[in-house]
This record gives sequence, C-alpha cells and structure tokens, in this order.
Amino acid sequence: MKKYWQHGVVGLILTALLATASIVQAEELIVYSGRKDKFISPLIKQFTAETGIKVVLHTAKSTALLNKLRIEGDRTVADLFISNDAGNLQTGTRLGLFQAIDKDLIKVIPTNLRADDDTWVGLSARARVLVVNTKAKDLDFVKSVFDLADPRLKGRLAITHSSNGSFIAGVTVYQQSTSESVVKDWLKGMKDNVGGKLFSKHSKIVAAVASGKKDVGLVNHYYIYRHLAKHPDAPIRVLIPDQQDMGMGVAWNVAGIGISKYTKKKALAEKLIAYLVSEKGQSQFAGANSEYPTRIGVPAAAIVPAAGSYKVADVPMRDLGTHRIATLDLLDAIGMP
Amino acid sequence: MSIAENTLEETPWPQKIWQALARRVGWLGVLATVVVVVAAVPLLFVIFSSSQLSLSGWQALWSQRLPGLLWNTLSLAVLVAIVSFILGVSSAWLIARRNFVGRKVATWLMILPLAIPTYVFAHIYTILFEEEGWIGKTWLAVFGDSVAIPDLYSVWGVTFILSIAGFSYVFLLVRSALEHSNRSLEEAARIQGLSPIAVFWRVNLPLLRPAIAAGLSLVVLHVLSDFGAVSMLRYQTFTLSIYLQMNGRFDYQGAAGLSMVLVLLSFTFLIFERWSRSRQRYYATGTQLRQAALRKASMFEQCLIWSWLGLITLFAFALPMLWMLDWSLQAWQQDLLDESFWGYVSNSLIIAAAAATLAIIAAFPVAFFHTRKQSTLSTSYIQLSSIGFVLPGPVIALGVLSFILFVLSPLYGGLAALLMALVVRFLPLAVQSQEAALQNLTPSIEQAGRILGAGPLENLRRVVLPMISNGMIVAWVLVFIDAMKELPATLILRPTGFDTLPVRIWIEASEESLELAAPAALMLVLGTLPALWIMMRNEKQSVSKV
Repeated sequence: MKKYWQHGVVGLILTALLATASIVQAEELIVYSGRKDKFISPLIKQFTAETGIKVVLHTAKSTALLNKLRIEGDRTVADLFISNDAGNLQTGTRLGLFQAIDKDLIKVIPTNLRADDDTWVGLSARARVLVVNTKAKDLDFVKSVFDLADPRLKGRLAITHSSNGSFIAGVTVYQQSTSESVVKDWLKGMKDNVGGKLFSKHSKIVAAVASGKKDVGLVNHYYIYRHLAKHPDAPIRVLIPDQQDMGMGVAWNVAGIGISKYTKKKALAEKLIAYLVSEKGQSQFAGANSEYPTRIGVPAAAIVPAAGSYKVADVPMRDLGTHRIATLDLLDAIGMP
Repeated sequence: MSIAENTLEETPWPQKIWQALARRVGWLGVLATVVVVVAAVPLLFVIFSSSQLSLSGWQALWSQRLPGLLWNTLSLAVLVAIVSFILGVSSAWLIARRNFVGRKVATWLMILPLAIPTYVFAHIYTILFEEEGWIGKTWLAVFGDSVAIPDLYSVWGVTFILSIAGFSYVFLLVRSALEHSNRSLEEAARIQGLSPIAVFWRVNLPLLRPAIAAGLSLVVLHVLSDFGAVSMLRYQTFTLSIYLQMNGRFDYQGAAGLSMVLVLLSFTFLIFERWSRSRQRYYATGTQLRQAALRKASMFEQCLIWSWLGLITLFAFALPMLWMLDWSLQAWQQDLLDESFWGYVSNSLIIAAAAATLAIIAAFPVAFFHTRKQSTLSTSYIQLSSIGFVLPGPVIALGVLSFILFVLSPLYGGLAALLMALVVRFLPLAVQSQEAALQNLTPSIEQAGRILGAGPLENLRRVVLPMISNGMIVAWVLVFIDAMKELPATLILRPTGFDTLPVRIWIEASEESLELAAPAALMLVLGTLPALWIMMRNEKQSVSKV
C-alpha cells in the first residue's frame, strides 16, 4: 500500500515537471486576455491557420491580469494583453507594462482610439446607450443620460452596480464632457431612482426592460441586439442619448490590445496585431459581438446604427485610464451602490 | 584578528542559527519551523505592504470602509453560523439517534453538498431564482405577482448559499461525536423522567459543545475567506472589498491594510475558539462505551424525518445537481465537449492530488511537533499555520507570487506557485485533522517502540504512521476536495494555458454560457465523490473499531 503511495507521489511530481516543460514552445504567443473567450477563439483559430503561429489564451479578469503583469515584471511569459476596457489598457501604460507598437501598423486606427505613445490600440468600440420599453408611457422627456436622474423615473430605471467596468468608464466620459458637480448630482438622482435595486449584469437590465419590470436602462449597445436576436418581438428599442444641439454625444469605450514590455517576440506579436487591424480581422473581432470596428471604413453589423450617423462624446479613450481613480473616488464619496 | 571572528568565518551565521535551533527544538522542530515560515509568506507580504500605508491612508480606510465592512462580514458570519447550526445539528441528531429507512442514504445526502463549491451554488441559484428559472416559475405560480421573488443579492441570499454549502461540516463533526458519545448518560436522564427534547437540550447539547464549536468555526472561517459566492452576489465583505481595492484601484497598500484587519479579526476568533475548546473536553473511557440499538422511528416519525432531511437535500444538493445534469445533457447533445474539456478534468485532478499530498507531508511535522511536547512555540506554530484560512485567496496568491518571483525565481512559470499557494491555503485543514489523529498516540506507545529497539525512523514508519494513517487519509481527502474547488488563487497563479474546472466554470459562467459551465461543474462534483467515499469508509472503520 505504501509503495503505491510513493509511486503516486513520484508520478505526480513528474507530471508536474512535464506539464511545465511542455508549456515552453517556439512560434507561440501567449495572450493575457480579459475579453470573453468565445469572441476571440474563432478569430485566433483563423490566425493560427493562416500564419502557423500558435496562440495561447490565458483568460481572466483584465484587472487581475494587469496585477499579474505588474508583479511578474520582466519574468512574465505574456507577449500581449487584451482588455475590454480602455481604462485598463491606459492603466497598463501608466504602470509601464507595455511597449510601443510600430506606428505604421496602427495608423489606420484613429488617434483618439489608441494611446498617445502607441502602447495600446483600440480594436472594437461599443456605445453606452439607453434601452427603452416601447410601451412605456411618459418617457418622451428622456433625451440625455442625465435625464435618468429625473424623479419621474423613480422605480422605473435599471442600471448596473457601480463596480461594473462599463459603468465606471461611462461616468468618466460624462465627467470629462461636463463637470464633476453635474455628474455628482446625476449620480445622486439615479441613486434615489433605483432605491437600492441594482442589476448585476447588463443582459438582465435588457430583460427587465423587455418584460416591462423597468421602463428604461443604461447599457452597452450590443446587449440590446443580443436580446433582440433571441427574442425578435421584444418590445424594446435603442435610444441614442445626448444628440441635442448642445448635447455631449454618446460615450464610447474600446476593447484593445498592447504588447508586453518584456516580450521577446515583438515581431511575432506585431503579426497578430497586423491581423487584428486588417479589414478582415477588424470585422471579425468587432463582428463577434456586434461592436464597431475601430478602423475607419470597416462597417459594423447592419443592425447597429452606423458609426458617424450619431454624435460621439469628444473624449479620448486614454482618459478612461487617467481619470479612473477620480471616478472611483467620486462614486465612493456618493456611496453609489 | 579576534577568536570570535575566527569562529564566525568557520561557521557562517545561517548555519549557526540553524544548529542552535536544532539543538533547542530538535529536528522535528526545525522541519516544523521551515513549514511555518513558508506558510507565513503571504502574511509577511501583507504586513510589509500594509506597513507602507500612510497614516492618512489608514484614516481613510477606517472612516470610509471599515465600519460597513465589519458589520457586513460579522453579521453574515453570525447568520450563517445560526442556519448551519440548525441544519447540521438537527440532521446529525436524527441520523445518529433514530433508526429509519434509508438512514445510510441520508448520511450521504448530508455530506454531498461539500462537493459543490460556493460559486457554483451562487451561480445556479441566481439562475433558478430568475423569473424564468425553476424556483422563479414555481414562486410565480404559487404567489403570483403580488409577492416579489426573494432577492439573492442580499445578506439573506448570501446566508442561504453559504449555509447550504457549509452546514455539512457541522453535521460531520456532530454526528461523529454523537456516535462516540456515551449513551448511558442519555438513558439515565430519560429514566429520571426527562422528555427526549429536554434530554437533547440538557444532556446532548452540552456534551456536543466541542464538536459544534469545531464545526461552526470551520463554517465561520469559510465565510470569512469566501470569495466565490460574495463576488457573484456582490455582497461587500472583507474578501470582496480587498479584491476590489487590489483590482479596481491597483492599490496594494489599501488592500493589505484591509487584509491586516481581517487577519486580526480571524486570529481573535481562532484563539477564542481554541481557548473555549481547551476548557471543554469530555472523556469517555472504553468500558462505558457500548453500541446501543437505535430506537426505531415510527411511521409518522419517519415521514417527519424524511420531509426535513428531504427539504435540506432538495436545496443543498438535488436542485443544483438536476440543473447541472439538465444543462450537461444539452451540452452533450450539441457535442460541445471536446478534448480540451477532458484536459481541464485531468488538470484539476492532478493539481488537487499533488496539493493534497504535499499538504499532508508539510502538515506532519507541525502537528507532530505540537503533540510531542506542547509549548508556546508549538502552539504558535499551529496558529501561524492557519494563515491560509484567514487570508483571502487573492491575497495569498499575490503573496506567493511575489515570494516565488523574488526568492525562488527559477521555479516561476510552472506549477510551483500554484501548488505552494494551495498548500498554504489548505495547510490548516491538514494540520487540524492530523493533530486530532495524533492525540490517540500516547508517548508510552512510542517509548515502547524505542525500547524494543526501533530507531526514530523505523518507529515513525512502523508505529506512528500506521496509527495515524486514518487521520492522514481524512486530511488528504479534505485538502483534495477544497483544492479541487479552489478558484481565486488558481485564477491568478495557474500556468498559462493550464485551465482547471473551476477556472472554466468561472469563465463560462461570466460569459453566461450555461451549457458549458454545467458540465464542468458536474465533473467537479463527480471528481470529489471518490474522495468523499474514502473519507466516509474510513470514518466507519474507525467507529467500528471503537
């Protein structure tokens, strides 16, 4: 009995060593990814098929992966970092975790959708819009996200928890477009309107508005199309806010990619980026989730309102990182749930 | 050149310390010291990081976060302890004191929830409680729209999840205490005219206090360190808040400050628990113990017993299991389970088995050192080895990560960091069950071996290890089960491309692809079943020996 036990231990240790050894390989990229696996995997398979370069996706929360990159320093195995949030990408830049990408490669992407030192580049964009129940009454006054603080919406408003990354990014954009006091009053008003009932996921906000439990919700645009794809008859529509003459426009946020500062495979990593910013790669990356390709001239899915058909808030995406802590402090000060 | 300097040159100072240590505490003590120092690495990380927190930083934490966090965490711990007490003690008493049809099955049903991690419970119940979920639909059918479906995203929801996930610890310990306890006391009380309920309150309960305290302390420690359920249900406890401080603001010092408070809180609790247990020990000498026939339950009683146990099982095991089977079937029919899925299964099994094996090896010197000669040093070693239970998983992960990177950097990149974190995290489980097993080992037995000519190693192999093998197996199983389920540290420390079942469940659940999360959860449960079986079989053997 004990012999077997000892064999077992030796076996386990050997397996562990083998598992370690098999991880090291040539022509292989390791990507720390905070984006959903299912949106990236098909695209990565295509890339591997075309170039023969293997890609290992190491998926976790973007923020946890940034922490990991930061602690690992020059010991990191990561070649690239993908996040769904420009705030995280810019934080990576602030912490000095990335290196500049070849400018010629990414000049096809507008400058406000990438870092000013080219350390990261946005790959797909999403819009912060309102989802409205088509049968709801007395909603005509809602033209701007700031109208969500109107007491007439008490009990009728659906928003996520304030620790949600998209929520935080949106608040940062509004604060950059207006002022802290405007945003402060707005948050207080919304806090009163929701009365402690918050949503953990955007998809549930859309479902609640579709079922008539709530009349209006603040979400990323693709959640609405995802719901409509499953339930074409759902009584909901998209309301693109802040389009008045003096309106600030819709808040955008991008998913993007950066090259790890300590990678030894920069050339290989740039091949992946070249693929992702190519017209084909762009429509695949954004199309997987009905988002907007960041490359000018590549159209989004037909169901989505075309980019350029509405006003977008004039805030560079890097601000989502540089002003993130200020936003968190503001949310804390108000006690936003 | 003086003489002192000469000797310094001959024996370098680390070696001198080492030798002095060996002289004072023996080689066993040295081994125990090494283990404890390694286990304390995450604590050192926390102490170091929080020492860099400025005074104003502490003041900000104190005024903005701590009061709310303390209230949230403590009230949750108390609520979960109360519910686990009711569920665990009632089921244990019924099963240990009444004979009814399907008693064996009932025992199993009460421990099966241990195989389901809290984040799986939380994930499944948030879906079941939705309007289209099984419970939501039933609720609407019964109450209509007039009564809102209970909101899981509240202290009550978290209490519900953590209680069904944790009461089994109370059940296990109380049942085993009841089966070992002396029936003659109960019979005497009955003869003196006490009703069965009065016997329970006045005889059983006082005698069971150590077992209940041990079970509840396990439950409370799980509550304090739980990350899965509180993060899914967004209930702000210390663990979640520390995680957000680290991952939202990239503020290690603030996170370390909060961890420091949590550590102090948990240590206070642990010391209090040890102290209260040390004053409460009941001995039953062998001659008084006898196997008494269990009272047969009447038909009516059987119905009552089974409706209560059935209700517990329904929520703590049957519903989640049915949900997993339902969605796994759909995944299987859609042919979604490819080779990589079986890779996750084997990764999980390998890592859990390796962690469990390493943990019992590491725990042995600590437990043995303490039972050999109890001293302040050995007691503090035992307490220091419980760091893993006290610190949240993400903090342990970062502590271990920094340690490996700066001290053992050649090991980085493989499984070493993950294994070390898992061992540190679950060392207390291994130490505690080995310590319990070692208490049967009186010094006279060891001395007898030595007198008969066995050397220390032979004595260890032929006397000590066989006597505590059951305890070792139980320790191995407990660590294996928890390591299989571990999520936060695994998420951070797994080597790239090395996904385990919990990691996949987390990924699929956050992507809301239920048909992929369900089979992973199901395999996780199935993977822990053999371990539970070994533990139960072992326990039965030790009972029948008595």
